[in-house]
Amino acid sequence: MKHRLLSLIAALLLFIPFKAQGAAPVKIGFINSITGKEAQIGENLTNGASMAVDEMIAKGYQVTVVREDDGGEPRNALAAYEKLVTRDGVVGVVGPYTSGCANVVASRADQYGVPLLVPAAAKEEITMKGYRNVFRLNAPANVYSQVLMQAVAPFRPKTIAYVYAATDFGVSTVQTAQQNAVAMGLKEVANEKYQQGQPDYRATLAKVKAANPDLVFLVSYDADAILLMRQAKEIGLNPKAFLGAGAGYTTAQFAQQRDISNLVISATQWTPDVNWPGAADFARRYQARFGKEPSYHAACAYEAMRIMIDTAVKAGSSEAIRNALKSGSWNGIMGAVKFADYGGFTNQNNHQMLVQQIQNGAYETVWPANFSTRKPVYPYKR
Amino acid sequence: MLIIQSLVSGLLTGGVYALAGIGMSLVFGVMNVSNFAHGDLMMLGMYLAYFAFTLLHIDPYLSLVLILPVSFLFGFLLEKLFVSRVIHHPHQNQILLTVGLGLIMSNSALLAFTSDPRILTTTYSSSSVMIFSDVSVSVPLLLSFLVTCAITALLYLFLARTRTGMALRATSQNREAAQLMGIDVSKMSAITFGIGTGLAAAAGALIAPVYYIHPMAGHNFLLKAFTVCVLGGLGSVPGATLGGLIIGVVEAFSATWISTDWKDVVVFMLFLAVLLFRPQGLFGKRGGE
Repeated sequence: MKHRLLSLIAALLLFIPFKAQGAAPVKIGFINSITGKEAQIGENLTNGASMAVDEMIAKGYQVTVVREDDGGEPRNALAAYEKLVTRDGVVGVVGPYTSGCANVVASRADQYGVPLLVPAAAKEEITMKGYRNVFRLNAPANVYSQVLMQAVAPFRPKTIAYVYAATDFGVSTVQTAQQNAVAMGLKEVANEKYQQGQPDYRATLAKVKAANPDLVFLVSYDADAILLMRQAKEIGLNPKAFLGAGAGYTTAQFAQQRDISNLVISATQWTPDVNWPGAADFARRYQARFGKEPSYHAACAYEAMRIMIDTAVKAGSSEAIRNALKSGSWNGIMGAVKFADYGGFTNQNNHQMLVQQIQNGAYETVWPANFSTRKPVYPYKR
Repeated sequence: MLIIQSLVSGLLTGGVYALAGIGMSLVFGVMNVSNFAHGDLMMLGMYLAYFAFTLLHIDPYLSLVLILPVSFLFGFLLEKLFVSRVIHHPHQNQILLTVGLGLIMSNSALLAFTSDPRILTTTYSSSSVMIFSDVSVSVPLLLSFLVTCAITALLYLFLARTRTGMALRATSQNREAAQLMGIDVSKMSAITFGIGTGLAAAAGALIAPVYYIHPMAGHNFLLKAFTVCVLGGLGSVPGATLGGLIIGVVEAFSATWISTDWKDVVVFMLFLAVLLFRPQGLFGKRGGE
């Protein structure tokens, strides 16, 4: 009995300093599309997040990150979140990437009470339902169309055509674009939603060409963007401007296809040449480590992971993390970050989006004027 | 002009669907096996064309000269090693085997080539010629179409004129009777699967310059190839050719006059209608499978 008591005390003594130092690393979850159809963009998020984790650990933050793959499927994302929260005991989660996945996970975050920081999903609804535990770093989908239209508004276009992927992001971006277009007095002359991965969009583009729009507003992922622009060139579709809302129109691979991508205008959350603190340096380190230029997804994931680690290590519990995210403010590679409630959004960072144009194979920031180095070229010419 | 534009791009795209369908149909006709790895074999063809272009600097259309024999051999070996073992088994076993082979191929490709889509950019990738002053014809797609026509014509000649071709047709018509007549039906099966694989890889190589190359790209075409086969009549080469062209044109027309989003719905409604009113397909044998 005495021995037992002694050993118990000894065990407790061992435990106390251990606990007091807080040496047990804080556990954070990271959900991303590592495989599946969104895997290419997912890789950028993985890279950005990995950089943040490595740098924070090097700075002395005691943190373990548990990674989960959702394969781009909402049901897998939800299962991943539930596994992270119930089995791994994480105190905060960064992710998932796609709107579809993030929206489903967000709907359960309040039930489990573990804060979710969404780095790059754009569907508005995610932060519009008043969830207390859902925070979003990037600007929502309505801002994509808003900034694109603000950038071309001085040139007084009159008509617009929409060509977009039948995904959550595509549909919600175009819905808000339509509202912005109405406000600007633009007339809609074509509206074409397509299923991804088709080999032939020529019939669709020929129809758009027949409508002769001033602006062609596009939402596409990955390679579809290249296919669409190739076929647009074949068909001879020449509007006054091609507006690409994020995703496929903002990749380095797209910019390299000079004969089809030149002068395409796109909206982005981040550019390497923006004058936010550390942005250029981040781009350099990323380039050195992964051998390619970071996309905005990489920057979003990096900053989201950095904010989550910083908050989680200081706060400790899920409840405290939630309060700290709500009250804190940061200023890093994504500019000023503050999770605020405004215009129907809850815990939404009112992020300033940028408009860029591909000029001679490189993305140049062209709007807003205080962040840009070049002027937009309008009208579009081949 | 819009109608001619739709017809032209529909026919050209249909040509590629046809080539994908013919290989599948031939395999079904001779071996009575539904090859669910067909889409993944197309994907391998895409990568072969891509690497021939980037590493060996061979034009994707010329690389067919290399791709056809290599993929024929690959298909021949696949049949000898795996497919021949299930040829007399129930359909569900054959489906499991070919789906499994396809999964192994697509996931190995994912490991080897990563999930980054590759874009094959030739000097003529987005060039077009104008006909009737206002109708544009894609140069790479037109080339693909012409090569498809040539391959299909050669296949017809092979099936109609050569001894092996006739033996293949005999095996397709009645396996037992063909065997009784002294035809080596197991060898015919391997040859057929080789040709089927060659056609799939050729279809992949032909579409590579106008599409993107991705380990999962084959899946977008598997369903199309299957629809083409059933529409034309399983086992019928002319049926598959016509089926491919019909699907291409129907897709283009519905994208133009209904909505891009609805074109698959229209294609599958047509598919269902054919199954209801002419279950053997347009060119199928009545009372066949």
